[in-house]
Amino acid sequence: MTEPLLKINDLHVAFRQGRTMVPAVQGASLAVYPGQTVAIVGESGSGKSTTAHAIIGLLPGTGQVTDGEILFEGRDIAHASKKDIVAVRGSKIGLVPQDPMSNLNPLYRVGKQIKEALEAAGIAKGKAADARVIELLEEAGLPDAERRAKQFPHEFSGGMRQRALIAMGLAARPKLLIADEPTSALDVTVQKQILDHLDQLTDDLGVAVLLITHDLGLAAERADHLVVMYKGRVVESGPALQILQHPQHPYSQRLIKSAPSLASQRLLSQQRAEVREQAQEVAEVLADEVAQGDTQFGEGLDVVVEAKGLTKVFPIPGGAPWKKSEFTAVDDVSFQLKRGTTLAIVGESGSGKSTVAQMVLDLLKPTSGTVEFDGVDISTLRGKKEQLAFRRQVQPVFQNPYASLDPMYSIYRSIEEPLRTHKIGTGAEREARIRDLLDKVSLPWAVSRRFPNELSGGQRQRVAVARALALQPEVVILDEAVSALDVLVQAQILSLLADLQAELGLSYLFITHDLAVVRQIADDVLVMERGKLVEHASVDEVFSNPRQEYTRRLLDAIPGGSIELSR
Amino acid sequence: MAWYIIRRILQAVPVVLGATLLIYALVFLRPGDPIVALFGDKPVSEAVRAQIEAQYNFDKPFLVQWLLFLKGALTLDLGLSFSGQPVIDLIARAFPVTIKLAFMALVIESVLGIAAGFYAGIKRGKLFDSTMLVVSLLVIAVPIFVFGFLMQLVFGVKLAWAPVTVGGDASFTRLLIPAFVLGLVSFAYVLRLTRTSMIENLTADHVRTARAKGLTDGQVNRRHVLRNSLIPVVTYLGADLGTLMAGAIVTEGIFNVPGVGNLAWRAIQQGETPTIVSVVTVMVLIYVVMSLLVDLLYAWLDPRIRYA
Amino acid sequence: MPEIPTTAPLPGQDHFVAPLGETPLEATGTLDTSRPPESQWKEAWKNLRRNVLFWVSAIILGFVLVVVAFPGLFTDLNPLKADLSRSLEGPSSGHIAGFDKQGYDVFARTIYGARASVSVGVACTLVVTILGLISGALAGFYGGWVDTIVSRIADIFFAIPLLLGAIVGLSVLNNAWPDRGFGGGVVAVTFALAAFGWPQVTRIARSAVLEVKNLEFVDAARAIGASQARNLWRHVVPNALAPVIVIATVSLGIFIVAEATLSFLGIGLPYGVVSWGNDISAAQNQIRSGQRLGVLFWPASALAVTVLGFILLGDAVQDALDPKSRKKD
Repeated sequence: MTEPLLKINDLHVAFRQGRTMVPAVQGASLAVYPGQTVAIVGESGSGKSTTAHAIIGLLPGTGQVTDGEILFEGRDIAHASKKDIVAVRGSKIGLVPQDPMSNLNPLYRVGKQIKEALEAAGIAKGKAADARVIELLEEAGLPDAERRAKQFPHEFSGGMRQRALIAMGLAARPKLLIADEPTSALDVTVQKQILDHLDQLTDDLGVAVLLITHDLGLAAERADHLVVMYKGRVVESGPALQILQHPQHPYSQRLIKSAPSLASQRLLSQQRAEVREQAQEVAEVLADEVAQGDTQFGEGLDVVVEAKGLTKVFPIPGGAPWKKSEFTAVDDVSFQLKRGTTLAIVGESGSGKSTVAQMVLDLLKPTSGTVEFDGVDISTLRGKKEQLAFRRQVQPVFQNPYASLDPMYSIYRSIEEPLRTHKIGTGAEREARIRDLLDKVSLPWAVSRRFPNELSGGQRQRVAVARALALQPEVVILDEAVSALDVLVQAQILSLLADLQAELGLSYLFITHDLAVVRQIADDVLVMERGKLVEHASVDEVFSNPRQEYTRRLLDAIPGGSIELSR
Repeated sequence: MAWYIIRRILQAVPVVLGATLLIYALVFLRPGDPIVALFGDKPVSEAVRAQIEAQYNFDKPFLVQWLLFLKGALTLDLGLSFSGQPVIDLIARAFPVTIKLAFMALVIESVLGIAAGFYAGIKRGKLFDSTMLVVSLLVIAVPIFVFGFLMQLVFGVKLAWAPVTVGGDASFTRLLIPAFVLGLVSFAYVLRLTRTSMIENLTADHVRTARAKGLTDGQVNRRHVLRNSLIPVVTYLGADLGTLMAGAIVTEGIFNVPGVGNLAWRAIQQGETPTIVSVVTVMVLIYVVMSLLVDLLYAWLDPRIRYA
Repeated sequence: MPEIPTTAPLPGQDHFVAPLGETPLEATGTLDTSRPPESQWKEAWKNLRRNVLFWVSAIILGFVLVVVAFPGLFTDLNPLKADLSRSLEGPSSGHIAGFDKQGYDVFARTIYGARASVSVGVACTLVVTILGLISGALAGFYGGWVDTIVSRIADIFFAIPLLLGAIVGLSVLNNAWPDRGFGGGVVAVTFALAAFGWPQVTRIARSAVLEVKNLEFVDAARAIGASQARNLWRHVVPNALAPVIVIATVSLGIFIVAEATLSFLGIGLPYGVVSWGNDISAAQNQIRSGQRLGVLFWPASALAVTVLGFILLGDAVQDALDPKSRKKD
């Protein structure tokens, strides 16, 4: 029987805040055997990253191990001397950190930073180390490594940086590699390539991996053994598939149910069809009202938003004055959003999907092409009155729940602002409306007196939805509206959005990088790549029969997509 | 890069012109007769007056005076001082002294400030840090002329280690104490800036990654924390040269250094337009060139910055 | 894809499920209603109250303000009444700081001198902050030619060193307005210092506005249909105020030192005005001719302590408003 390489027994970690110790990890235990891959899965605040940092003695700020032991090769490194733990770092335990953008020193060449790791471990020096660096970069799957080693981090793409960090983590051939959300900052297709490569590399080298991730699908796909953490405790651990298929703890069950990548397509299309039917019914009634009356904006058409040949070209500043360089962010994109349905625009970073959203919202003027709202070309709107009439019909919800509400405004004022701007209702009427809106997004009235900094990410996003609905718009633009949220919260917001759509007959333009989420909310999908439209089809078509190579790659990259769940 | 420099220089043109115009206008607005300032109480005949007015362009409209000054400046002819010397000669004599003084101050403040800020940042909250905090606050709070005066009193008069004033001999050793006094306030700012920057960088992700590689604390602090912390400090130091040269008015006054400060001070008191405007123009030019150099230095220190 | 392990799990890796009693599920996103609502200003104030440095500076500045408002509380003596027969006399009962060369009571002059220094500091800071905030906000928010014009004008004033510009300005004002007394003196010094001090605030306000205007809540307000002006003054500026407040607090101290420097050079406040700068300047001349250090100590210390108070306050405010220390999540 082999001995575990890493064994954590009843680990407690706490952060000092003033005179009190705030616990972050409470009694975590786990074991990693040589060559094995173990994943810690949890949402933010679960203590998964804190556990990882405790292992190599790099807890941030005031954090400290208050109890328990961390045995590495049988020795307790939680209570070892500073010198001993420095000796273990890099040479015995490597780290691949979370965010490739901030984890390389921007001032040093990439090669030099990897060389440092070799020198610190006493493996190689000088010329020999330089040569080894190139081998390591090649091994990490970086083409043209010799030239790349001489470049600075900012000359690398996110994926390339992450490969450099992997080369760095494995430079001294550690026995254990801690990979802390190694790919969550990257586009899905890059994520898959890098994880595949890391898998193979650690297999070949026989390195054990402790994978930290929020993504259950990804964990199940990559690890032999799962450790599910919740609020600083291990709630369930065991063989990956066993947990995935037969979760015992209610938290694990909830997590698996909420994971968009693991949901069954058949079930989702059924649910979606019901929502769509209701929404379209309500929307039709509303459209008829618009078509008959002339008080409201638009003509009550079936297609509520239509983009025709949308193109946006940005000038690139600098350079010689006569050489104008330009960048085409959006290139000839056309689509129709049907009333009461959801159209998803999917693409990776740089695809131009958010620029499209900005143009539909009339926050950015297209270089050419038009956006028609209910039959009216929005570039022809004249005067404040027409502008405001359009604004009432189209409202956004943005990605970042921390930036989308003015931190100086109370929640009440934030939701009231659209009503004030449009001079709707008296004070009392507005208050009644705000009560109703908070109720719709399932927030207690008590929230209205609070400020954004007192709310959780999910709560803020609910407030943003309430604000968007205050003007009773027909169309809501959801620009990565659930991307920054934890899985459980994400699932809640998605179902809230679906309920609201069915109830109010809303039409959604849903901008996202995450194809997995699309299945839960969208009816049609538009796939964008580098400003161009590559595929436009219904959700079912895209998932069952993608026509484009790029779409297929996006689908393949959904972590855990291939795992069968017994339900 | 070349285009960036050209654009910056083009942008600097209105700044330099505007600054000279501004100072010219200010001095022009100054009431009183410059001829009286020139001759004191001695009576001046009409003919002499007319000749002098023509010589200094006092008889022409304001804008013409300014344009004539600019035209002269292009050929390095800055006019005559009231004592009849070409202003360019006065400047050529005074500026090297002040530049020497300012550079000495710059070296003193940066070496001491960065070293102290580095240790204060690492030992945040410890005795050294608190001491440096108090020292830096005192240095900022006590006016420079009080310090200058006290140093002069202690080192010059009481201990007699150094001459009380510099006078005609602006040698390195004689300028040492004035340079120290001049650099004192900036030393405090450099210290504070380095310290803040160090503390910020100590918690940077890439610093944690460097530790995870197995580097020792000393290696991490020197190679990764300090190096990155120096970027804002260098920017500050570059912009500081101009401030130091202006601050020299006080320091040069106390220690009687024959530099620009003294020159400007005398010219301002007498309303000697050509000299004042010339001195300010040179200072503005130094500022403009320094800020361009700082930006280029910035790009060299921080490879992420690419000007185009 | 991992295979289902056929062998028994390794020690420490068997299927473990925590007892539900120890790991209860909490509803996601609960709201703590036990505490009263807290705006960011309130939170900053709470941070400020916890800072020892803030209290030190508050005590210093509170005391200084009382001295400024009611100098009569601290001395019965008239700072403008000289008794030549007691010239340069040392401390004695009722005259803890002794007399200067003209026979003025040094302590009384130090007490009354506070008013001039603090007035100049406050006036300069107000002018510079208002001017800088407005110009910086407009330049940062509207960009384009507004930015070009504001930035170039600011550059012109910024390129001329503060002290040099103020000296030239004051030399003009001194000649144009010879007998200007206390009020006129403060106005003149304020004018000269503020004229060359505002670009500093403009730059800070501009970059703060540039940062805030790209945040999503500003786009959200635009999508609602809020006008540009409303967006700027109601959303962007309030969120960009923190660095401006910090620089304003610190500049208060800096302007006080600058006023003293100008008075030391003899072109600041008129000679007859009781001010620390004038007294320090006079004291130095007296000490050069071999007199006692006490005449310098009092006004110089009073000045230094006041400036220290403002700088400490600036530091404390910066810590309290720093978004980095505010981040909870």
